[in-house]
Amino acid sequence: MTSFTSLAEARDAVCTFIRRCTDEPGTGGFDELALGLFAFQFEQNTPFANFCCSENRTPETLTNWRNIPSVPTRAFKLLELTVLPETDRETVFRSSGTTRADRSRHFHDRNTLNVYHASLWSWFSEHVIGNSPNRLLFLIPELGQAPESSLVHMMDTVAKRLAKRDRCFAADSQWRLDGQAAVDFLHDCTTQNEPVTILGTTFSFVHLLDHLDDGAMVFELPSGSAAMETGGYKGRSREVTKAELHRAITDRLGIAGGRIICEYGMCELSSQAYDGKLDQANAAPRLFRFPPWARARIVSPETMQEVAPGQAGLLQVVDLANVGSVLSLQTEDLAKRRNDGFELLGRVELAESRGCSLMNLDHV
Amino acid sequence: MSEAQLDYFLADKPGAELTATLVTEACQALRHNRDDYLAQVGNEPVIAKLTEVASLWRSPDYELRKIALAASLEETGFPREVLAAGLDACFADWTQEKFFMMLAQELGDPTRLQSFASQPNRTLSMVHGPQLTAHIAPGNLPVPVFQSIAFGLLLRSAQFIKCASGKSLLPRLFGHSLHSVEPGLAASLEIAEWKGGNKALESALFAEADCVVASGSDGTLSAIRQQLPLAKRLVGYGHRVSFGYVEKLANEVMGTRAILSRTADDVIAWNQQGCLSPHVIYVEQFGSLKPERFAEMLAEELEARNDAMPRGPIHTNEAAAISTARRFYKIRSTNNVGTLLWESEESTNWTVVYEDEKQFQTSPLNRFIFVKPIEHLEEALHVLEPVRESMSTVGLAASEARMRELAVPLARWGMPRMCPLGQMQRPPLAWRHDGRPPLGELIRWSDLETA
Repeated sequence: MTSFTSLAEARDAVCTFIRRCTDEPGTGGFDELALGLFAFQFEQNTPFANFCCSENRTPETLTNWRNIPSVPTRAFKLLELTVLPETDRETVFRSSGTTRADRSRHFHDRNTLNVYHASLWSWFSEHVIGNSPNRLLFLIPELGQAPESSLVHMMDTVAKRLAKRDRCFAADSQWRLDGQAAVDFLHDCTTQNEPVTILGTTFSFVHLLDHLDDGAMVFELPSGSAAMETGGYKGRSREVTKAELHRAITDRLGIAGGRIICEYGMCELSSQAYDGKLDQANAAPRLFRFPPWARARIVSPETMQEVAPGQAGLLQVVDLANVGSVLSLQTEDLAKRRNDGFELLGRVELAESRGCSLMNLDHV
Repeated sequence: MSEAQLDYFLADKPGAELTATLVTEACQALRHNRDDYLAQVGNEPVIAKLTEVASLWRSPDYELRKIALAASLEETGFPREVLAAGLDACFADWTQEKFFMMLAQELGDPTRLQSFASQPNRTLSMVHGPQLTAHIAPGNLPVPVFQSIAFGLLLRSAQFIKCASGKSLLPRLFGHSLHSVEPGLAASLEIAEWKGGNKALESALFAEADCVVASGSDGTLSAIRQQLPLAKRLVGYGHRVSFGYVEKLANEVMGTRAILSRTADDVIAWNQQGCLSPHVIYVEQFGSLKPERFAEMLAEELEARNDAMPRGPIHTNEAAAISTARRFYKIRSTNNVGTLLWESEESTNWTVVYEDEKQFQTSPLNRFIFVKPIEHLEEALHVLEPVRESMSTVGLAASEARMRELAVPLARWGMPRMCPLGQMQRPPLAWRHDGRPPLGELIRWSDLETA
């Protein structure tokens, strides 16, 4: 069995696996790596180990990655789920929330951020960038404005990887859209006939569309333009259905439906799922797929056993890129497995948060 | 008889398209029918018919009851055993004596509904209900809808019951039983279903109704209020929460078994759906029954009860809410001495969470109960302060004398209803929902001052 004696070792093994998966799809070795990482985290992370012991699942007894105990994402609000000693916690991602106490905390150091960057970039570029030479309009704050947001961190990584491209960050630290900056940038793209990819949260797209409506503006963005939206609303804008939102993006911005990609991510995960690739036909229902180093399971909330394809259940994710925290998570999202992907059905309605949005906003 | 043969109310016709015109016409027909029959009859025949309907529903062989119990979870929201127990509890209370007592409680003199009756100050007074009441029925429990219909009939009001989409079966069955005992009563009743928020249908209904009775979230109620002309009355019931309270000497007075059994009664009734079901049981800390031990024994009791009255299947999203909460408390319990968890195996049938943390906590329901220690009532009222405005009921386990003592600070604090533990979901017919008079909110008085 793979065993790790240090975080650097685990980091190297996972980064190597991500590279191999990217270079040669179909690469094996997930199971062994997952069990090795589980043993490492069990050893280094006491709250996680306590939980596993109560489930009678320890590195000694486990032989299948599917049996690694799944930690509920909301436990990140309560416990320090990390292998990092306090002095090494250089970066923290926090979920959105009204008070500090109800926000998840996912700690990182240079090692774990390396893995995070490797994971997010390879899957993001494959789905959202492809061969496009697009400029980038971010409807989110710059890193300095919101350093604890995993989405902001992710987009900062993207911007750095695509450093030569023209770009604009059009939101402030409170996630308020700078409508004028966005419109100016889009205007410039149009006059220069340079396609643009707009990236933002669901609510930031609503803000942009409302801003366009207020000024009675319609864009016909250059061919090849695209959009990536993620997260939900959390009361930050009026709520519209996904179909309506996408129709409006097509109508008001001139971005074809096939070039609007949804991302599924959260601050507790280090990998993201996308519901399509640029220009590839996205048949309804649109299916999300994680990269090969993160696997989704859909379990029955009654028995916690995996359900048959097409049946609704809770989404669990085993994400090898979570090297420094816990690799197996139980989300608060309902989903159905279909073929090699999953369809998101919406958020579990918990007693404290009735009436919440359709998708997970914890990524913001 | 089968469900397909029921054909009287708008909701009996599946797939039939409702229009604003249809709603308006139905309301006008209801007013007309009311004038022809309901407005003319006295209290005795109305009450006699209501008790006749109740006795039909109590009979296991009653056709409409059988249809109700055989219906799917989607239609009723409850498994057979839970629904049967709930219906029995409701209709057991519908007696002539209790209906007359309610009229006396609300009107002083029940004859006021038909003629002037004197008051102590020599003024003569008569009361009248709305000519047409629109009910926006809650989607979770059927009993409040049955009661609303009965109260409307007592006040000789024609009624239009708007059910949540897909939730009209039980009100319809009740309406058909009224029709079978007295067609004249059912002629003043219409039942329809549509998804809430349909402006066209709701505007038509609100334009015709004299009074709107609605249950729902704050959002639903404020949306209705905005749609209603200022002169129309809205009797709105928002979401409320309840809890149980075990006083420290209760164990000596009642015995552990009785306390556990009554707690389980309240957790099981209607699978905890509804404002009167407990989310939390507070157990006073310094008695002979320790809160942790109580929680553990309650878990055993719920497991045993699940054999006699299974919780039954629930929707995936409800089960997911339970399983998400369970996992959270599981990881908390393995890392914190202040939390303990007991759960049914291989199912979400029941869950007990013991927590040192005293704050009120809303449960995902369907037999998921929190047990928390508390020093004394004063401390309970302190931790409950954030939810004071949302309180409905406290179920008390205490001696009769102690209950009366506890009731005073509770009432001063604003608690609308205090009852013995075990009866939380069984309020008396004439109970004051959220502290408000059941008929008094609907009626208007006409005073005749004499010289």
